[in-house]
Amino acid sequence: MSTPKTHLIGASLPRPDALGKVTGAARYPADLIRPGMLHLQLVFAQRPHARIVALDTSAAEGAPGVAAVLTAKDVPYNAHGLIDADQPALCGDVVRFEGDKVALVVAESKEQAEAAAKLVAVTYEDLPAVTDARAALAAGAPLVHAELGTNLLLHIPIRKGDTARAFAEAAVVLEGAFSTSWQEHAFLQPEAGIAYVDEQERVVIETAGQWLHEDRRQIAAMLQLPEEQVIVRYAAIGGAFGGREDLSMQHLLALAAWKLRRPVAMQWKREESMIAHHKRHPFDIRCRWGATREGRITAVEAEVIADGGAYASTSVEVTKVATLFASGCYEIPNISVDGYAVYTNNVPCGAFRGFGAPQAQFAAEIMVTRLAHALGMDPVELRRRNIYREGSLEPTQQPLPEGVSALPVLERCVEEARARLRYGEPRESDVPSAPHLRRGIGIACGIKNVGYSFGYQEQSTAKVHLYGKAELERAVVLIGAADVGQGAHLILRQIAAETLGIALEQVSMVTDDSGEAPNAGSASASRMTLMGGRAVHDAALAARAKWSAAEEYEAEAEVQFHPPATTPLDPMSGAGRPNYCYGYAAQAVEVEVNTLTGQVRVLRVISVHDVGRAINMQQVEGQIEGCLAQAVGYALLEDFQVRDGHVLTPYFSTYLLPTALDMPPEIVPVVLELADPNGPYGARGVAEMPLVPFAPAVAAAIHDATGVWLSQQPMTPERVLAALSAMNGQSTAG
Amino acid sequence: MPDSMPALPATPDEATRQTRIRLTINDTPHDLSIAPRRTLLEVLREDLSLTGAKPGCEMGNCGACTVLLDGEAVYSCLVLAIECPGHTITTIEGLTRDGQLHPIQDTFVQYDALQCGFCTPGQVLALKSLLDRNPHPTDDEIDRGMAGNICRCGAYPKIRAAARALARQQP
Ligand code: FES
Ligand code: FES
Repeated sequence: MSTPKTHLIGASLPRPDALGKVTGAARYPADLIRPGMLHLQLVFAQRPHARIVALDTSAAEGAPGVAAVLTAKDVPYNAHGLIDADQPALCGDVVRFEGDKVALVVAESKEQAEAAAKLVAVTYEDLPAVTDARAALAAGAPLVHAELGTNLLLHIPIRKGDTARAFAEAAVVLEGAFSTSWQEHAFLQPEAGIAYVDEQERVVIETAGQWLHEDRRQIAAMLQLPEEQVIVRYAAIGGAFGGREDLSMQHLLALAAWKLRRPVAMQWKREESMIAHHKRHPFDIRCRWGATREGRITAVEAEVIADGGAYASTSVEVTKVATLFASGCYEIPNISVDGYAVYTNNVPCGAFRGFGAPQAQFAAEIMVTRLAHALGMDPVELRRRNIYREGSLEPTQQPLPEGVSALPVLERCVEEARARLRYGEPRESDVPSAPHLRRGIGIACGIKNVGYSFGYQEQSTAKVHLYGKAELERAVVLIGAADVGQGAHLILRQIAAETLGIALEQVSMVTDDSGEAPNAGSASASRMTLMGGRAVHDAALAARAKWSAAEEYEAEAEVQFHPPATTPLDPMSGAGRPNYCYGYAAQAVEVEVNTLTGQVRVLRVISVHDVGRAINMQQVEGQIEGCLAQAVGYALLEDFQVRDGHVLTPYFSTYLLPTALDMPPEIVPVVLELADPNGPYGARGVAEMPLVPFAPAVAAAIHDATGVWLSQQPMTPERVLAALSAMNGQSTAG
Repeated sequence: MPDSMPALPATPDEATRQTRIRLTINDTPHDLSIAPRRTLLEVLREDLSLTGAKPGCEMGNCGACTVLLDGEAVYSCLVLAIECPGHTITTIEGLTRDGQLHPIQDTFVQYDALQCGFCTPGQVLALKSLLDRNPHPTDDEIDRGMAGNICRCGAYPKIRAAARALARQQP
């Protein structure tokens, strides 16, 4: 039987959940709090490194309304983490960063819990803190985890070819040193949730997150319960961007509900969210690039150091991604890169949209443009000559996964930049009336993996039930996939309806309960459209086949989709097959630099992406535009400051986020659809890619406008001014 | 007792003293007895279950808590409830009439002017206040009028497109 086409793929359908969101009816975690629930208040360490000498909770326990004060001794298995379980739920002996938690006060009201938390008396013996990643690697540095005997969490070398010889033979060799800072997710909905024990003795947590089944795994391990006895449900999720991948409060809600057998609620203030959850890693990158006169990039050497903060989180994976992308999206025969992830007493770092790729390629893309200038070559031409093509070898010595579109993406970007920005034409004076305003254009490329890497057992599972009589009438799709605002639920529903040949309205989705919906894997790594979408597609096909064969009134099928396998990197050479899919991006930006204030305004952005196939074009554009908003913040504005382990910017009044006024007046998302071999209808992910080339494209545009190179992110007015005055000082001195 | 214990009165009297007020919200009067230091945002959410106004920062930095006070967009986290008797308060819940979306709400849906939606009630109300004052704003006036409402998902271009479309529709 042939499947009728419903033409749902690519259609810019409005999201069904928008109705609740525009009317205020949608329930986010804090909206679930009801009268009669107990309220939780955490006691944070507020110091970067200390031993807990004494912990006296008696005064807090006696305070009005207090039901309990929980400490480390109340936690059945006191360690959690996405990869290494190295983070205590509540610290018992040592605190390792200021957002570490030492006690959990449970009281009848929020005010009572807050008041009693101030009565928890902790006596600390401060320990020397290490708050710089390089210093943490020095002999004799204070140890963040004494039992490990080192602050080194990971060293991964990548070796390919013979860099020494390549540098000796190179016509041009350039050195660079770059640093990037922390970035805060600042999802607008601060962490909140409720928990209770239901009539079947299951502990139920209703909150926001990115992966129901992983939250469940860690909570069950902490409570030492079978996973089936823990139910994680997601309410409407107010943004995530990687910031809800680690447990923040989910496990503490569960702990309190389980211990007290009463419904409990917790809602973090913004400043609690800012100090307590993980951040984007700051990186320190030193590198050397070499090229021949003909414009072949022949050698890259780099040292890539990530400040992982106090706990492991996903630092190991982020650092491997950054190490892999330290040479960008170029096929370079000789590579020697060393990546290090380091423990410090700073805020822990983990997943954030881009996952190590933006930091590494900030350095790599600037180096490529500088090399082009040194060779007297057009930066686009140098990229063209070296960029990944089908069959190119990665730094890990394996051919790239099929579907390499880096070059067509770049060519389209250049084409658009010529047409829209008059890129490549000689420019007359920038703003004739205001000589201090200088305009420039920059172009950069980017690569980011889709899905999990380095041998992780990647999977996504979906179940499809079909109902009807003579005709298929209705389908129910079960898949535990988090919709964090990216629109995953509509995408998956469009794929199901198209595959089954029925209308969108005939498909209903069960997505937000770990007890009902199977494990889709996380909403991260730009993977849900490809992985979740493919699982839904395959399950829909399987169910449809059963339906047709049996001529029953009901059919169901469950499919676990596995993409092509990846492998771990060889610990000596880094050799291996790191990923099964990449997304490719290229951007052209035009900026205006105010040489008196150092302020940089982005005027226009062209952002070109190969998405394989757009399932919902409007949402693809939304992802590109939204990611660019965060990229503007990352490149220019967001300056998360930490001094001696203390966060200096815990409020939105000090940590500045882009507003409508900071957005480029003109954003042109350009979507290419060069089918991915594994994705449903050829789709691959796009959510992270716009963040990758943006900061280096802005740096190149600033250079084009003014002649200075910035090498620190964010490129704040102070840094731009300092670079300008250093250049002017040099030119007057010279 | 360890020295580090702060000397704090457990529950200051101020906190428990209740004041009786009448608030007119979405055309409905509500008689309430509240502590004077409570914000309009807290009272809307906790006493009246009007959770469309969101706590994003509770310091006047994000706009997620935006409501209309006599038609003007205000941060309800910065307004004390006891300041509000005698004023007209409109929350996002009051925009929908008889199950009919307000044109701004409808346009937000059509233009996909939202992602996670957490900022959306505030964005919709901020735009209403802007368009009521200035039915035909320029792009710059739109951006300035909306600059007090952060969207971390970055739906700004589509919010602006929705605002433009609405401005075109206005008489
Ligand atoms: S919650 Fe009121 S402005 Fe942020
Ligand atoms: S839609 Fe998420 S913050 Fe605006």
